[in-house]
Amino acid sequence: MASDRGSDLPDALLVERARRGEAEAFEELVRRHYRAAYAVALAILGSAMDAEDVCQDAFVRAIERLDELRRPGRFAAWLLQIVRNRARNYHNYRRVRSAMPLDAVSTAGDDDTARATERSALRDELESALSDLSEIQREVVLLHDMEGWKHREIAKTLEISEGMSRQHLMVARRTLRERLGEGFLEEHSA
Amino acid sequence: MTDERIDLSPLDPTVDAERFEAAVHSIGVSAAAQLARRRTRASVVGQLGLWWKPLLAAAAITGIISVGALLRFQASPVTELENVGIAEAIGMPDQLAEWVRSDEVPTVEELIVAMEGES
Repeated sequence: MASDRGSDLPDALLVERARRGEAEAFEELVRRHYRAAYAVALAILGSAMDAEDVCQDAFVRAIERLDELRRPGRFAAWLLQIVRNRARNYHNYRRVRSAMPLDAVSTAGDDDTARATERSALRDELESALSDLSEIQREVVLLHDMEGWKHREIAKTLEISEGMSRQHLMVARRTLRERLGEGFLEEHSA
Repeated sequence: MTDERIDLSPLDPTVDAERFEAAVHSIGVSAAAQLARRRTRASVVGQLGLWWKPLLAAAAITGIISVGALLRFQASPVTELENVGIAEAIGMPDQLAEWVRSDEVPTVEELIVAMEGES
């Protein structure tokens, strides 16, 4: 499940190094698995902002509990379980973050701001459409169509069959197309 | 057409590179204390690891030497029987050994008889 971006080191090695406190190894794990973590958080929470919060919280939680990970090669599945738990508990308590708020770091210029505004509108539209799906449908479509996972990986991580993964993806796509309309999708993808 | 991938890139948190870098940085800042603790622990364990094997080897050698010395000490009381055993071990005739133990000085004739008797 490791991405082909960045370092070629396997997750197991990065986990071992992160256990010894190597910040670079931990950062590589964050870069490699952030999108998948975000996809799962977004699938559960339905909000990009909340998903970012939960992702950050989950990664910090992961480094705190890294010694509990018995099979370092299965870091991704283990991390996503933490993300899932944190996301489900998110509405029960909102942990005070010591991290700097992401909203404060934007320094975009006018052009960037216009693009960001457009992107934000698209994001809102997609988030709204995703809310029509079940949680597992959202997880499958986000992991498959946004993160690029294969059904085999999704099935293993979500503990469902590959057939069910395909079924969820098909229903999710159909629902999103109905909700968003072909016009929106064509315009957006152009 | 439901089998075509839907472009969900507006939801991709890495598309906005600046925001993504800020998120990675923020996580790094939040994890810094834990990583520092891990580095400290790893260095302590590493130092112990460096010394652990030589210390264990030294302890094992000391133990072997001590046990050997102890066994030798326990076996040290020399008995008459052991003397006889040594005499036999070097091939000394019984009669000669008996004379050695008794401090009795044999005559030349007795020595000849004893030597002939053994051969």
